[in-house]
Order: sequence, then structure tokens, then C-alpha cells
Amino acid sequence: MKMLATFTVNGREHDIVIEPHMVLADILRDQLRLTGTKRACSGGNCGACTVLVDGEPTCSCITLGVLARDKKIETVEGLAAAKGEFSALQSAFINNNAAQCGFCTSGMLMTAESLLRDNPRPTREEAKVAISGNICRCTGYVKIVDAIMDAAAEIQKAEDMAEEV
Amino acid sequence: MKTIHLSEDANTPQDQGGMLYVGQSLQKPDVAQKVTGQAVYTDDIDLPGLTEGRILHCPHAFARVKSIDTSKAEALPGVLAVLTHKDAPEERFSRSTMAEALPSFAYDGERQDQRILTDICRYRGDCVAAVVAEDIYIAEQALDLIEVEYELLDPIFDPFEAMKPGAVAVHDDVKNNVAFEMDHPFNVGDTKKAFEEADVVVEFSGVNSRQKHLHMETDSAIAHFDDNGRVTVISPSQGPHLGKKHLSERVFTDLEDGDIRWISPAIGGGFGARLALGLEPMAVLLAKATKRPVRVTSTREEDFNGYSSRTDQHQTVRLAAMKDGTVVGIEQHVISDAGAYLSHSATTSLVNMQKSLGLFRCDNVFGHVKVVYTNTPVTAGYRGYGNAEGAFIFQQATDILAEKLGMSPIELRSKNIRKEGEQSFFLPCKLEHTRLQECIDEGAKAFGWDEKFKGWDRDRSEGRFRRGVGMSILNHASGAGGFLLEHSSAIMKVQADGSANLVISPCEMGQGILGALAQVAAELSGVPYEKIRVVTGDTDVTLFDIGSHASRSMFVVGNAVANCARKINEIIRERAIPHFEKRQIKVDKDDLIVRGGEIFPEDRPDQAIPVGEVAHDEIYNFSEAGSQISAPGAYLSTSHHPNHQAAFAEVEVDTETGHVSVVKYLAAHDIGRTINPLLVESQMDGSAVQGLGFALKEDFVLDQKTGEVLNDTLLTYTVPTVMDVPEMEALMIEDPYEKGPLGAKGVGEAGVVNPAAAVANAIYDAIGVRVHSLPASPEKVLAMLQTDGQEMPSGASHVSGQRL
Repeated sequence: MKMLATFTVNGREHDIVIEPHMVLADILRDQLRLTGTKRACSGGNCGACTVLVDGEPTCSCITLGVLARDKKIETVEGLAAAKGEFSALQSAFINNNAAQCGFCTSGMLMTAESLLRDNPRPTREEAKVAISGNICRCTGYVKIVDAIMDAAAEIQKAEDMAEEV
Repeated sequence: MKTIHLSEDANTPQDQGGMLYVGQSLQKPDVAQKVTGQAVYTDDIDLPGLTEGRILHCPHAFARVKSIDTSKAEALPGVLAVLTHKDAPEERFSRSTMAEALPSFAYDGERQDQRILTDICRYRGDCVAAVVAEDIYIAEQALDLIEVEYELLDPIFDPFEAMKPGAVAVHDDVKNNVAFEMDHPFNVGDTKKAFEEADVVVEFSGVNSRQKHLHMETDSAIAHFDDNGRVTVISPSQGPHLGKKHLSERVFTDLEDGDIRWISPAIGGGFGARLALGLEPMAVLLAKATKRPVRVTSTREEDFNGYSSRTDQHQTVRLAAMKDGTVVGIEQHVISDAGAYLSHSATTSLVNMQKSLGLFRCDNVFGHVKVVYTNTPVTAGYRGYGNAEGAFIFQQATDILAEKLGMSPIELRSKNIRKEGEQSFFLPCKLEHTRLQECIDEGAKAFGWDEKFKGWDRDRSEGRFRRGVGMSILNHASGAGGFLLEHSSAIMKVQADGSANLVISPCEMGQGILGALAQVAAELSGVPYEKIRVVTGDTDVTLFDIGSHASRSMFVVGNAVANCARKINEIIRERAIPHFEKRQIKVDKDDLIVRGGEIFPEDRPDQAIPVGEVAHDEIYNFSEAGSQISAPGAYLSTSHHPNHQAAFAEVEVDTETGHVSVVKYLAAHDIGRTINPLLVESQMDGSAVQGLGFALKEDFVLDQKTGEVLNDTLLTYTVPTVMDVPEMEALMIEDPYEKGPLGAKGVGEAGVVNPAAAVANAIYDAIGVRVHSLPASPEKVLAMLQTDGQEMPSGASHVSGQRL
């Protein structure tokens, strides 16, 4: 049964024909061609497909598209700032070499993005707990946690400067 | 990461002619795309008219296909083809492509033992039929409509049972299921005599688990034929050049090597899995049948049930020594369970022996390997390629010997490791460069070994939480010169703006090799790093190379790049002379320096002209243009250039739950020279955690009655998460090796080798019982504690210790 559904992805509205069995990851990748979101386990076990749905980190591989209709969806493609500049988190991932093969990276970034919005000054332990559901096979996680902590410090520094001004 | 420089030159400051790029933590070229979602992996690619292929896997461990009815599937609208064994080539192939790259003296043949689609299913997961459809949903539906009638055969899961006379044959033509058997090619001396005459003899047996590679990107491949009959394969391959040779040689014999163009886009993790052929043969078959581009994909569950994991190698190591600790005899017997097809299991077993038997100086060495078929999923090569499997047994045997001799683990190892200039075991050649002793000494110091190791006789009976320390050492390859076709070629061309393209063959699977090689190119050519654009991953463009494995890329490809970059440097200097003359500066080619994008006379750096000026005029100046600045470079490695590592682990064992936690892990690596510290540290971190997963968590559990994989999801097969990562430290022991590119040796694999061995030795130090099978999971440790080690008799575990 085909249906027309509206998805707001990275601030842009899309009207798409979907079927009820389609999961959000497939809609994002196959129909909107936002292939930054990865399918790695299709069972909600690894976090590679994490996107933000109304700000909440969500496994898009086990979220039916119909349930994400009319919600605000954010993917890795929406992380960079307006002029294509990297966000503080993306820069920190680059500087720390926190992406090796890169397949888990989008999910890691979205999970970390959600953490930093909720808790801009996480402890290292809090950062670890936040990404404990995201599996990375390459990095041993050290550089990823380093990157999150660097990004938090960077965001804080920018805010402090803004306050001074 | 701390670096200990054993030579002076690394400390020359940049402004005094020190290196500009090498030794710097520069950003690798592909990292930005990976944080924006722009990196393109196989499954991200769309082609006009792309169709979807899916495979029907056998649900039985051993069965003969009596009949297949595909009519209902074919009738489903949107289905383009349904293929069975009748449509697949009769030709047999191995998922390992190494048969194309190995000499006969080192290896007497890799059985080509499987078909793309089969009517005799040898494991749960064997490929019975395949569907091509307009979309993935239709393809999935069609799979359900294929009706297969199977004749069930008695499966065999135990390699020891499989070798017995009269056992069921997994392959009709293989007697007693022994797929491969060989003495080590470099066995020497008389071990029987050595063991009789030795003062002390020890023996240790055990088996590793079938650690899964678990590259985050599941397997996929795209194939499409053009109108001239040429096929393009797109897949996450670690070795596309060998892949196309193997496919044309073994499977699609109507194709020539050059009829296949193979593209490796971004690879979502390899760890050795992508060295074997995955879905590519199937994709080619389906594309041929449908005359449409086909993408074949696999699910995570199919990946678990399929064709990639470590081989479980059942091993016995015997060591003979004199009272003073001199090792006089070494024996190693390996019985490997290949699973249903051979793939890389024979070569990984052989490499295990090369590494294990080659560590100590010894005149009497004997190794023997047998590889056995069972009706279990297919195993393959995994990062370390047998070395981690070997170290787990060999390093424990070494500690047992040390205890029996009353020597410390460090003393015994230091006494016996092969020293620089001594004979190497790998090939009839000398060991040209080793800093293993420095790794041991500096590593022990940084770890605090002397304070933490309390001796063999200490009391281990007190308290619920007991701590212990253990160590392990290794030698690993920097390419398998002498054994494999260890040559590589690179091309560099300079653009009119002074930027350059560097065309190289390694596949980028996250290791950062493209960046490290570009750093070598920048240092030696004089073109700035940030202006070097690396081109790779397309066999129509790149030159022949056997792929990214054996920690070979930095050394072998690095030398090819170095040769190429030196030529570019020379051409730039030659062609710069008229530009200096125009400025009334008389120079000789040999007095010019090219560095960071500028050319200047050695004694007059203020007279620099940009590389871009020369490069531009070579192309665009009508009166003076000659030819674009370009050069090829090649390297052939014929010798053996090992890198080394010493590692130290501290563990805490909870004697009530059996849970082992690693408190601290330190590895010191003999790297030659660090090209990029950030990339090296990333490799050290990642490999250590993967190795700790192998040590403590990762199991691959088969139902011993049905052959079913019981943990085929990322929920039930547990890999390390961020919460499992202990305090880790990496130490680089730097002393440039003159044969390496700017002194570098390999680093990618070694870190995965020591963790299980060091942790096992630390567990013994903590609780006094030996780990005979991996992983050292809580239930095993608890059983060992409760029975004083008796519950884990040596050699009694089958596929990850299921016979506990």
C-alpha cells in the first residue's frame, strides 16, 4: 500500500511515496539519496544508522518510516554549518583522526551531537556512556572520545568568547 | 603516544633541513569526507538500471540439492533471473586469491574447491540459488518463492573426528578431510635429539576462537558488462588486481585479465576479510545472466554465517631448553579447521608457524600443519594472519618454560630472541633490522614491570579480586618479500599549478595509508603535502599490486612511492635551470633543493621559485613547453623486513564471577620511522582493542548438533564497546631502517597479535591457571578456578571452546 508522506530532513521538506514496511534508513538512503547514514546491522545493535528524530538519537534501521513522518530528522549531511564549514564536532573528529574506515562515523557523530546539545560539558565517562551503543571496529574508541571532549571544549570556548563580547 | 628515538636524525629541526612532512600528524586525505557523509562506499553507488541480487543460502550444514523449483520466483513481476548451480560455471575457485601470488617452494598448492552456486551444500550458508530483481524488496520476496528439496547428509563439525578413517567426507575427493598438509619449508636440525638432550622440556596446547572480522560495512559487490563484453566490478576489495586475475583464471575462463576493471571505493573496514573474494563472483555471474548492472548485498546475519573469520587453529607447542635458558628445540603442530572450504586457512596456518618458529634463535626447529574440512562456515585470513593465533600458544609456552627454569619472562625472551645480523628463520637471509630488545626494555620500564611482576612463587590465593601481569612479544611482516609477488608501482604527475597526482594501488580501508604515502611523496618530491591528490582504487588506473595486507603498504608501496618522488624531484630540478637562468642565476641541478613547493639553490634559499612556475611552463608555455612533469616508480622486495612489538598487560580477575578486566595495556613497537604519529597511534589503539576482544569477549558459537551459528547478530556476538577499553599506552621505538621508505617499517597488523597472549599470561600470574582456549570468558575462567584448571584440558575445545 503506497502512501504519500512528508519528511523534514535537515530543515528541508520532502514529499515521498513510501510503503508501510519501509524503514527510515532505507528512505533516507535509497529515496532521498542521503547515503551518509549507514546500514550495518539492520537490527538496531550497532548505531551506524543513528539519526536524530526530534533531537533524539534513533536507529533509523529499525524505525519505520511512517513513524518518522512530520518529525524533524537530522542526518550527518546536516551537521556542517551553512557555508559548508565543519561543525566543531566534525573538526574535532578530523583533527583527532577519529574516523578510520568511516562506516560508523555518521552514527557516532549524531550520537555525540545529541550528547553535546543535552550536556555541553560532559565528563569523559559521560561521553563514553553516550556512545556505548555505537560500535566501531577500527579506532578502539580512544580518538572518538578525545574528539568529543575536544569539541565540547571548543564549543565552550566559543560560548565564553561570545559572552565576553 | 610516546616516541623513543634511538638515532639522531629525527631530531633535526625543520628550519635546518629536517623533514617537513614525515613525522608530522597530518590530516589524511579521506577523513573530511568521512565526517560529512560524502565518502562513497559500494552500497552508496547507484548506476542507471541497477538491479538487486540476493542469495538463497542453504539452511542445512550438509545436504545435497535434489531438486529446485524456481518457477514461482521467476513468475513474480520484477524478477529478472533466478539462477541455480545449473547456471553457474563448473570451474572451482578459492575465495583466497593467493594462488596467483605464491611460489611453489613455500606452498604446494591451494585447493580450488568451491563453485559460485552449488548443489552440494557443505555448511549452513552455502549458496544454493540467486535472484536478480528490479528492487531489493522484490528480490527478497522471490527468495521465499524458491522451492528446494534437500537430501540431508550427516554433517561433521569436529576437525579431529573428521580426520578419523571412515569419517564423512565434506569433499568427495579429499581423503579423511585433510585439505592441506605440509611440514614447514624451513624446518632445520634434529628436534628429536634436541628434546632428548635438553635439560628442560615444556609443552602447551590450545585453540583460538573464530574471531569475526566484523567490518562495519557488510559485504556487497556490483558488476556490470559494457557492450564490448568488458565487466566492471565495484566492491570493497583489499586486493583488486589479484582479484581480477583470479576471477579470469579460475572462474570466468572466457574473460581475460584485462577484461575486468575493478574499482574499490571507500572500504568500510577490512581486517583481512576483503583479501578474500566475497560477493564479486556472484555479482559477475548475475550481471552476465541479466545483461544489467547488478548489486549483490548481504545482511549482517549472512555475514556471520558466511565466509570470514579467523581459522580456529588447534596447536601444540613444545620447547626444549638448557638450564641457562638457551632454547635448543622448538616444535609446533597446527591442526586448523578450515570450515567447508579452504580459503586462507592453510596460508594463515603456515604464517602462524613462520612467525612463531622464527622468533627465537634455535638450531632445531620443526613445524607441521594440517588443515581439515568440516561442515562449518568458511574461515579466512584475519589481521595478523595467523600470528595472533600462534602467539596465544607460543607465548604461554614461553612463560611456562621461564617458570620451570626459574627465570623471569623478560630474561628468557631477551636471551633467545634473534638479534640483528643473525640468521632469520623466514628465508635464507639475515635479520637486517630489529629493535625488539629495545621494545622489551623500554616497554617494561614504561609499564613498571619490575615493580608489578612479583615472581613465579608468589601467593595467589588471597582476596576476591586478584591482579596479575603478563607479557608477549612478536615479529611480524612488512610485506612478505620472497614469499609473495612483493612488487608495487606508483606514478606521480605534476599539474600546472604545482599540485600533483599520486597514483598508487593500496586500498584505503581506514588505515590511513593514502595519507602516509602522500607524506613520503611530499617529502621526497618537494611538492607540498596538501597539494598531493591521491588516486587509487581503480585497476584501469593503478598499477599491479597484490593488495593491502601483510603490513606491506608502508614498506613496499612506500618504497615505490619514494622512488617515484625522487625522480619527480630530479625532473623538477632539471627543468628549473632555465627559470633560474632567466633570473640571471647560474645553478647546477645538483645544487638545487625542492622543498615544500619551492625550488632554490642550496646556499641561496631567498632565491626560491615556485614548483608551479616550472610545472606550468612545461605544459602551457607555447615556446618552451616540453612534457608534463611525471614519473613512474617501482619497488620489488625480495627479502624479509620484520617489524616487532613487545606488549605488557595488567589484569584483575574477579574470582567470584570469572570476569577478567584489563587494567592497563602497553605496547612498544619497532617501527623504523614513524611517518605520521597520529595515524600510527590510531592503528595501535584500534589493533589493541581488537586484540583484547579476541582475548576476552569474541566467541563464535556453533550448535554442535546442527552447525547453526548461535550468535549471528551484533547483540549476541559481543565486540568491545567503548566501555571495554582499558588504559592503553603505545610506545614507538624509532630507529630508521635503511631499506624502508625514509626508514619506515609496517605497523597495521602487529598490535592485534600480542593482546590475547599477554592477557593469558597475566591471568596465569593472577590466579595460577592457564587459558587453553579463547576467549577467556567469565564462564571459562570460573570453571578453571573451580577445578584448578582441569575443566579446560588442552586440545579439547572445538570451535571456540564449545567442549568446555
